[in-house]
Amino acid sequence: MNIKNDIILKNINKSYKKGDSTVVVLDHFNLTINSGDFVALMGPSGLGKSTLLHLMGGLDQPTSGEVIIGTQRIDNLTEAGLTKWRAENIGFVFQSHHLLPVLSAQGNVELPLALTPLNKKQRQQHADYALELVGMSDRSKHYPKELSGGQEQRVAIARAIVSDPNILLCDEPTGNLDRKTANEILELLAQLNRDFGKTIVMVTHDNKAAEYATRLINLESYITEQNNSTTGVS
Amino acid sequence: MDFFLLVWRNSFRKKIRFWLTCISVMVAFFLFSTLSGVNHALTASVSASNQYRLITSHKISLTQSLPINTQQKVAALAGVKQVSYASWFGGYFQNEKNQLAVTAVGHENYFRLFPEYLIPQQQLAQWKKTRTGVVIGQGIADKYGWKIGDQIPLSSSIWMNKSGSFNWSFTVSAIYRSKKKSADNNKVFFQHAYFDQGRAYAQNSVSWLSTEIKPQANVDNVIKSIDQLFAHTNSPTRTTTEQVFIKEQAQQFVDMAMVINIVVIAVFFTLLLIVCNTMIQAIRERNNESAMMKALGFSSMSLIQSIYFESLLLLGLGAGLGSLTAGLLITFIGQRFNDFLPGISLTASHYLTVFILVNIAAAVCSIFPAFAIKRIVISETLGGKA
Repeated sequence: MNIKNDIILKNINKSYKKGDSTVVVLDHFNLTINSGDFVALMGPSGLGKSTLLHLMGGLDQPTSGEVIIGTQRIDNLTEAGLTKWRAENIGFVFQSHHLLPVLSAQGNVELPLALTPLNKKQRQQHADYALELVGMSDRSKHYPKELSGGQEQRVAIARAIVSDPNILLCDEPTGNLDRKTANEILELLAQLNRDFGKTIVMVTHDNKAAEYATRLINLESYITEQNNSTTGVS
Repeated sequence: MDFFLLVWRNSFRKKIRFWLTCISVMVAFFLFSTLSGVNHALTASVSASNQYRLITSHKISLTQSLPINTQQKVAALAGVKQVSYASWFGGYFQNEKNQLAVTAVGHENYFRLFPEYLIPQQQLAQWKKTRTGVVIGQGIADKYGWKIGDQIPLSSSIWMNKSGSFNWSFTVSAIYRSKKKSADNNKVFFQHAYFDQGRAYAQNSVSWLSTEIKPQANVDNVIKSIDQLFAHTNSPTRTTTEQVFIKEQAQQFVDMAMVINIVVIAVFFTLLLIVCNTMIQAIRERNNESAMMKALGFSSMSLIQSIYFESLLLLGLGAGLGSLTAGLLITFIGQRFNDFLPGISLTASHYLTVFILVNIAAAVCSIFPAFAIKRIVISETLGGKA
C-alpha cells in the first residue's frame, strides 16, 4: 500500500552565517513534490540543491518556513524527534556511500534495522531481500573494501530501502561512478520508483541521470519563475 | 548486526593501536595489583592483631631491653588482665639465607594471650615441660620436614650462648596452625627461661611486654598508666596497641599505603590520557560514519554508548590481563617466599576497586568523544551547502 507522502516546502528561508556576513541560500522558496514522483533536482552549484535535500530529510532546519512531509511538519521537531522520524520515513543515498568498513554488506544493510523491534532472524530476512532487490545477494558476506564503487553504491541503496521508507533522498548518487555503472544505479532507482512507489528526490549535475526521473526541476529557472510569479513579471 | 558486534568490530579496527593501548593499561594495572598484594601482606598482620593487646617496649627503641620484673609491675595495674613477655632471637637455620622469625617467650602464659595460634593441648603441655622445646608454625614444619621430637639446631645473629657459640639446640615440641589464612604460619617460639639461662649476657631482661587488657578497661588509660609507672626509671617505656605497633614496624620499611595511593593516582591519570587520546582519535577517524549513522536514525546517545563500551572493553581487557598476571606473580611469591611476605594475596575488595576504576575511567574517556559526536552536523559532514 502506497501511503500518501507529499513533500511540501512552504515559504522557506535558509541562510548561513559566514564570518560577519550572512549568506542567503533560499529565499521565500516554495516547492511541492507529489508522493510517488521521481524528481531530479538540477542546477548550478551554490543554488541550494543539497540544502533542499537536507531540509526534506530533516538533516537541517530552515531559518523560517515550513517543511511538511505527508501530514507531519518536521521543521519544528527536536533533534531527538527528527532522528526518530528519519529512521522511520527516509532513506538516504549519498555520493559517497559511507558504508561501515567493519561490517559486511549484509551487516551494513541490517544497520538501520537495529533501531526497529525486529529480531535477528527478521533483520537478516529484510536485509537479504533488500540485497536481492539491488542485485547484491551473492556479495552479502563481502566487506566494502572487497566491492567495486558500483557495488558499494548498490549496498548503500539497499541500506536506504531496507526499513521500507516511502521517500528516498539521493545526493549525487552516481557522482563517483562510470557511465555504465551509473546507468545501472539509475535504472535501479527508477525501478524502486516504478515498482515500489518510492518517492525519490535526486540531486544531480548529470543530464543523463535526469532522464531517468519522471519530473525534472532546474532550480535556477524554477527560482526565477517563482520570483517572477511573486513579483508579477511574465 | 548487533550493537555489541559493532562495538567489538570498531574496537579492533586498528589492531596495533588497540593492543598497544591495551598493553599500557595492562602494565598499569599489573603494577597496581602487585603493590596491592604486597600491601595486603603487610597489613594482614595488622588486621589480624588484637585491639585489646598492648605492646610495651623501651622508650628509646626496641633494641633496648626492659627488666623482666616489669611484667609483675604492669600486671598489678588496674585494667590489666594478663601480661607476658618476649625477646627477639634473630634466628636462622643452617645459613643466613634461611632466616626465621624466632622469639623467646614467657612459656607460662604467652599462648593464653595469643589464642590465634592453635596448638593441641597435649603438645602445648609438652612444650611447657621441655626446657629446649620450640613451638613451630605448620609452614616451617612443611618446609623443612620437621616433626615433633626432632632435634633442630638454630643459630642467632644476635645472641651468643655461654659456651661462646651462636648455635643453639632445640627440640620440636609443638606445631601450631593459624586461625586466619592470612596469618603467619612460619614463626618459631621457645622458652624465655631457656634463653635467659643460656645467653652469655643481658640476663633477666626482655625485649617487650605483651599486655592483654580487660574488655571494660579504657585502652588509653591503661597505656598512660603503664608509661607513667616507668617514666622516671632507668627503663622508661613506650606502650601502644598491637595494631599501631605492627603498623609502625611495617612503615619503617615503606609506607605502602601511601605508595599505592600515589601509584593509583598516577596510573589513573596516565590511563585517562592514553585512553582518552585513543578514543578521540578513533571518533575523529569515524566522523563521516558517525554522521551517516545519525542520518540513518541513530541518536547521539546511542553513539556515545558505543564509545563508552569501546572504552570499557579496552580498559577492562587491559585491567583484566594486568590483574591476572599480577595474580599469577603473587601466587608464585606466596608459594616461594611465604617466609618474607606471609598472607600476600589479591582480595575481593581489590578486584572490586579495579572494576570501579575501569568503569569510572571508561566514563571519563567517553566525555570528550561525546562532545565531538554531539557537535556533528550531518548536513555539513555528509554534504556541502550547495
